[in-house]
Amino acid sequence: MRYLKLFPAIFLFLFPPMAGAAPFAPLHEAAFDNGVRLVVEEDHSAPVAIVQIWLKVGGRDETSGKTGLAHVFEHMMFKGSKKLAAGEFSRRIAAMGGNDNAFTSHDYTAYFEIVPAAKVDEVLGMEAERFGHLNLRAEDFAKEIQVIQEERRMRTDDDPNSRMFEELTSVALRLHPYREPVIGWMQDLKKLDIDDVRAFYKAHYIPGNVTVVVVGDVDFADIKKTVARTFGKLKKQPVEARFNPVEPEPIGPKRMVAVLPAQLPMLAVTMPVPVWKPGENDREAAALAVATEILAGGRSALLNREIVDKQRKAFAAAAGYDPFSMGIDMWFAYGMLGPKQTPEAFEAALWATIGTLRDKGPDATQLAAAKRRMVADQVFAQDSLYIRAKEIGMLETVGIGAGKRDAWLAALGSVRAEDVKGVLKQWIRQERSTTGLLQPEVKS
Amino acid sequence: MRNLMSVLTVLFLFAFTPAAQAMPPIEQARLDNGLRVLLMQSSNVPMVVMRLNLPAGSWQDPAGRGGSAAMLAAMLGDHTAKHDYVAWADKLDAAAIRLGGGASYDSLSMTLTVLKEALAEGVDTFAEAGLQPGWDAKRFAVLQSDAVAGAQKSLEEPGVRAAEETAATMYPKHGYGHRPDGDLASLKRIELKDLQSMYRKQFRPEGAVLAVSGDVTMDELLALIRPAFAGWKGKPAVSFTDIPEPVAVRGEQRQVVMPTRQMTVQMARLGLSRFDKAFFADMLLDHILGGGGFASRLMNEVREQRGLVYGVYSYFMPLAVPGPFVISLQTRADQAGKALDVVREVMRKMHDGDIGKQELAAAKANLTGSFAHRLDSNAKRVGLMSMIGFYGLPLDYLQNWEARINAVTLAEVKHEAARFLDAEDWNVIQVGPEVAGSGD
Repeated sequence: MRYLKLFPAIFLFLFPPMAGAAPFAPLHEAAFDNGVRLVVEEDHSAPVAIVQIWLKVGGRDETSGKTGLAHVFEHMMFKGSKKLAAGEFSRRIAAMGGNDNAFTSHDYTAYFEIVPAAKVDEVLGMEAERFGHLNLRAEDFAKEIQVIQEERRMRTDDDPNSRMFEELTSVALRLHPYREPVIGWMQDLKKLDIDDVRAFYKAHYIPGNVTVVVVGDVDFADIKKTVARTFGKLKKQPVEARFNPVEPEPIGPKRMVAVLPAQLPMLAVTMPVPVWKPGENDREAAALAVATEILAGGRSALLNREIVDKQRKAFAAAAGYDPFSMGIDMWFAYGMLGPKQTPEAFEAALWATIGTLRDKGPDATQLAAAKRRMVADQVFAQDSLYIRAKEIGMLETVGIGAGKRDAWLAALGSVRAEDVKGVLKQWIRQERSTTGLLQPEVKS
Repeated sequence: MRNLMSVLTVLFLFAFTPAAQAMPPIEQARLDNGLRVLLMQSSNVPMVVMRLNLPAGSWQDPAGRGGSAAMLAAMLGDHTAKHDYVAWADKLDAAAIRLGGGASYDSLSMTLTVLKEALAEGVDTFAEAGLQPGWDAKRFAVLQSDAVAGAQKSLEEPGVRAAEETAATMYPKHGYGHRPDGDLASLKRIELKDLQSMYRKQFRPEGAVLAVSGDVTMDELLALIRPAFAGWKGKPAVSFTDIPEPVAVRGEQRQVVMPTRQMTVQMARLGLSRFDKAFFADMLLDHILGGGGFASRLMNEVREQRGLVYGVYSYFMPLAVPGPFVISLQTRADQAGKALDVVREVMRKMHDGDIGKQELAAAKANLTGSFAHRLDSNAKRVGLMSMIGFYGLPLDYLQNWEARINAVTLAEVKHEAARFLDAEDWNVIQVGPEVAGSGD
C-alpha cells in the first residue's frame, strides 16, 4: 500500500467498511488482442465509479535476494511517466475529486482510483499512459526506497505481532513464495537498485498481465471503447507462467519462538491447506471455509466461546482461511494471552476445540447459521464499491474468475456436517502445523 | 398518523450540484417519546444499516474510570435480561444479524447491520439490547478482564501510546483527557454500577437519534420501531451542550519511551468544535496542510521531497467543543528532529499567509468532487446522518455542503492559518527510543 492513513480525518462517525460479497450484479467482460482483459459491473445508484488496474504480478514473482521488489515497483508507478511529472498522477486525480492508491500482495498488484463517474475515461487514459511509459529515474528511487524502509519499520519491525507472523510463515514453508514477506526483508530493501526496478518493469508490466476492473455509474459499451483505445493499444508481449511450486507436505510439527519487546504473549499456528480450484475441489474448499467460520466467525465462534469465554485461556482468539489464494493458503489460528494465561494451556485448548468439532461435527443449527452468515457477508460487501471491485479483480487475477462468485455460494450451500469433519481431519492437524510463540523480552 | 407519534417528513429535493441531486432525500420522523429517526432509502442492496446515537460518550466516564462508556456499549451488546450471552450470540448468528456498539468522546452508539429479510427480527434484537440490559455480573467480569488485557496488549502500539499521551497533555482536567477505550489502569477500576448509573441517566430517547439507511420505507420502518421502542421514555441528565469548554494547553513537550526503531511524533493543539463558524475554511486549511494525502503540503515536503516518512498527515476532530488538531508522522528515530523542522517550516509558511489561489481551488475541487463518494454506501450514510442528527445540524447540511466549501475565500483560509498554525502553540508528543539508532 502506497499510503495508509492511520486515523480518521473529519467524519468521525464513519463506520468501517465491512469485510466479506451475493446477489451479484451482472458482469460485463471483454478481452483484447494484446491480452488485456476488462470486467465491468454497472451500478447507477451514485455518480461514482472505481477504476482498478490489476496485474498478475506480486511478491511471488520476485527472485531470491530481491524480496519487496513488486511493492517497491508499485510505489514507483507514482513517480512520473512520459506525459506526467512525478506526483502529477495523484494531483490530477485529486483535482477531479478523486482518491487514488495501490496495493501489492504475493499474488497481485492493483492500482485504483475512486472518481466521479464522468472522469473514468480520463483516468483510464492516464493509467495506460503511465503503464506504458514510466520514467523510473534513479533519483526518485533513492528517495522512495527510504520511504519504503519507513513503511517496513512501521508495519513490521516496530509491531511485535506482525513481526512474529512474518517469521512464522517463513518458518512454516520451504518452497512456496508465501514464505517471503511482500514488504521485503530489510536486508534486501537496502540492496535493491534502479536497475532491479527497470528489469522488473520490463518483465512484468506487459498487457497480458492486465485486468481492468470498473465498478460504478458507467456504461460497459463506453468503457470497452475507452479501454480498446488505451490499454488495448499496448504492444502484445509473451506472458510467462508464474512461479507456483508445489509445497512439500509437512513431515512433522515445527515450532518457533520470537523474543521481542512485547507486552503480552501471543501463540499462533499455521499450516498449508488447499485453495479453491473451481470444478475440482468445490466442496472441500467450501468446507474449509465453513469450518473456519464455525471456529472463528460471528458471535458464537467456537474459539471465542470455548477458549475465551468458558475456559479463560486467552483474551482473544481467531482463525482465518482464504480460499482464493494461489497454490495454497496458510490457514492460521491464534490466541492473545493475558497476564495470567499461558501459551501451553491455550495451545491445548485450541487443539481440543478443533478436535471436538472434527469428531462431533457441527450440529444442524451451527451449520445453517454459518452458511447464512457467509451469504449475508457477501450481501453486506455489495455496499462498498471498493470491496466489490477488489473481489472481482482478485478472482480474475488469481485465475478463478469473477464469474465464479455464484458457484462459490453454491459450494458453500452444499457443505454437509460430514464435509466439515472430513476437512478438519485431513488438513487441520497439529502434526502438519508450525507453532509460533511471541514471547515478551524480559528487561534486564 | 396514529396517536403514538407525530411524524414529520422532510424531503430535500432541491439540489445545487449533480452529487446532491443524486442523493436520496433525508426523511425525518419523531416518535412521541422524543426519539428522532432519520432515513435515507436505498434499494441498491437488500440490507439495512441503523445506528442509535446517545449522549453517553467517554467525556462522561467517571474520574479515573476511563473506558466506562465503551464498557457500557460492550455490555449492552453482549447479552440481555431475556437472553444470556450464549443464547444471544446464537440468536443473532442464526439470522446473520450484526450488532455492534462503541463509545466516542461525545456519544455512545449501537449499530445494526441486517439483511432486509431479517429486518423485523433485527429491530427487535436492537431494541432488546438497548432497553433490556442484562447486567450479568459474571459477564461484566469477563468483559472487563479481556478489556484490561487488550489495553495492556495495545501498549505495544506506538500510536496508542501517542494518543494516550496527547489526550492527557491537552485535556488535563477535561472529559476528553483519555481515549474512549480507556487504559490499563482506568479499566481495572470500573465497576458494574458505573455502567448502570450512566445507563440510567443517559440512555434516554430525547436527544437520541436513530439514523437508518437501506432498503426500507419510513412507513415500514416506523411500523417496526414503534412497538419495539414502546415504553422507552425520558430525557438524559446531561447533553453534549453541557460539555465544558477545554482550556488551551500550549507548547508542552512530552516523550514516552518505547524500544522502537521509529519515533512516532504527534503535534497537537486545540482545534475547533462542530459548530465553529469557520468549519469549512478549516476543512480546506487541513486539506492543504496534511489532510489531503498526496495533494497536501506535509506529504509533499516530508515524504515526496525528502523521503523521511511513509506517512505524515493532519486532521482535526470536530467535537461538541474544540477537539484536537493533530499532525502525526513516524520516522526512523534519528531523523525525528529533521522531520519536525520540516513540519514547522510548512506551518510557518502557511501561518504567514503563503497559501495560493490555485492551491485553494485544487483543495475545493477535491473535496467537492469526492463528496458523492462520502455517501456511496449505507454505512457511510448512516455515519453522516448520525453526526447531523446528534449535533442537531440542519437537515440540509449535506445538500449545502458543496456550496459551503465553494463559498470559502482565500482570506478566510489565511485567517484560519494564522489562528491555528503557530508552531509555538502546538504540543509535541514523541514516542520512541530514548537514544536513537537501535538499528534495523
